[in-house]
Amino acid sequence: MIQFVNVTKIYPNAHVPSLNGINLHIGRGEFVFLVGPSGAGKSTLMKLLYREEVATSGKVIVDGKDIGRLRPSMVPYLRRNLGVIFQDFKLLPERTVFDNVAFALEVTDVPRREILRRVPAALELVGLRHKARSKCLELSGGEQQRVAVARAIVRNPVLVIADEPTGNLDPENSWAIMKLLSDINQMGATVVVATHARTIVDQMKKRVIAIEKGVVVRDEERGTYGYEH
Amino acid sequence: MNIRAWVSAIRDSLQSMTRSPIMSLASMATVAVSLLVLAVISLLAVNLEYMAATAEDQVEVRVYFCVNDETTEACQDGEPTQAQKRALLDAAKQVPGVESVTFVSKEVAWQQMKQQHPEYEDIYRGFEEDGMNPLHDSLVIEAADPDQVKSIAEQMAQMKGVSEVNYGQDFVDNLLAFTKAVRLGGIALVVMLVIATVLTLSNTIRLSVYARRREIAIMKLVGATNWYIRRPFVVEGVLLGAFGALFSMALTSWGYTQVVKYVYVNVPFLPIISPQDILWDLTGGLTLLGVLLGAVGSAVSMRRFLKV
Repeated sequence: MIQFVNVTKIYPNAHVPSLNGINLHIGRGEFVFLVGPSGAGKSTLMKLLYREEVATSGKVIVDGKDIGRLRPSMVPYLRRNLGVIFQDFKLLPERTVFDNVAFALEVTDVPRREILRRVPAALELVGLRHKARSKCLELSGGEQQRVAVARAIVRNPVLVIADEPTGNLDPENSWAIMKLLSDINQMGATVVVATHARTIVDQMKKRVIAIEKGVVVRDEERGTYGYEH
Repeated sequence: MNIRAWVSAIRDSLQSMTRSPIMSLASMATVAVSLLVLAVISLLAVNLEYMAATAEDQVEVRVYFCVNDETTEACQDGEPTQAQKRALLDAAKQVPGVESVTFVSKEVAWQQMKQQHPEYEDIYRGFEEDGMNPLHDSLVIEAADPDQVKSIAEQMAQMKGVSEVNYGQDFVDNLLAFTKAVRLGGIALVVMLVIATVLTLSNTIRLSVYARRREIAIMKLVGATNWYIRRPFVVEGVLLGAFGALFSMALTSWGYTQVVKYVYVNVPFLPIISPQDILWDLTGGLTLLGVLLGAVGSAVSMRRFLKV
């Protein structure tokens, strides 16, 4: 599903590379935690996956496509197969829960009937169907992140990317979100989660990839968080 | 084409306009002013050309005989005698393309001038008290066909005893030169105004884009195409341009109708194009231009925001 071949990323005006010769392979249907100190390059690696950034050298292959060589006009079509989740949710606070999830379908010209079928199903999955008509700003942080998860999965993506999805949440809500991501993985999607949530990583016993200073320092099946803070 | 997406784009753009009404009005006003100037210049140029074309159809050539104190080569023998004038009149009749020739004495010409321009009565009286008539005897030649006027005038100018030949073309040439100047000056002015308009429009759109930057970022993340994201802003620019254009055309139509009414009453012989012959075309053209300006303005402001 994902392959990094000797990937280096140097931001303009930066002296040290954010990623330095990364080689990785993540198979279809895997669940992977990406861990490491702040500034280690986790977010950069995620951004390469949904092509917010382009590698300075090396190849990033997602779902069989070398996305570094994707024409800019094709990027939207890449993203339609991905679900991306952020620490700050990136919702439209003035709009309803339903609208936020439907948004992902509307902007890609999915027919109305299809939207009316798929949005409630996605909200059902994250347990927010009863809040469909609430505005997002009226929801708690945990609920907002569940809306974001619903938005990410409403299109049945092959790959879900979550960049510190529990960074703003209390332990209980963090668990709920991780459980959801795990469920999505069970349904067939490949899931990559960058996180600092040590307890969760330790208990879920999934594959753990650790990055420090732009280099992969550890890659373990059924791994642990491995840092003290 | 997805009708629902267009409807939502129009709704979004109307929302944007009401969110920053002052900026929206300012951009509509700049569009209106630019197009107003363009409309005035177009009307002026078109009418001047129309006048030139009308004048070109005049078939009259006026030949003035020499008087005694002229020093040019053709007049070195002084004023022709009556017999010589008679001979010139006969010669004029022989020039190909001449339909008729009439002799106008300077006394008759003086009376005609007094009738046509009574406002200079003081000047006339001054000359009359001194017993002077500054005019020349002349021939009025009618050509059979406007195309022959120039060659008739040239042949008459060669004849001895002829001081000056006047015909429509002089006036036409002057008028066309003036029209050209109006056009050039107008184009320069309009180009500057168009640049100012595009900048104002793009600034307005930029505000709308800024107000919705969060939404745009999310749209991009969930895979909206650039065209989808751009659509409401382009619609906003187009609407601003179209509203501005319609406003300027309303003003132009009213103004031009007033001018034409005034001309019909006060200067009835002045050729002028009637409003219904020109205003529809002008409105169509300028609205199209307004729409184009709006689209360009929004394209300019969107470029920066859409880099992936």
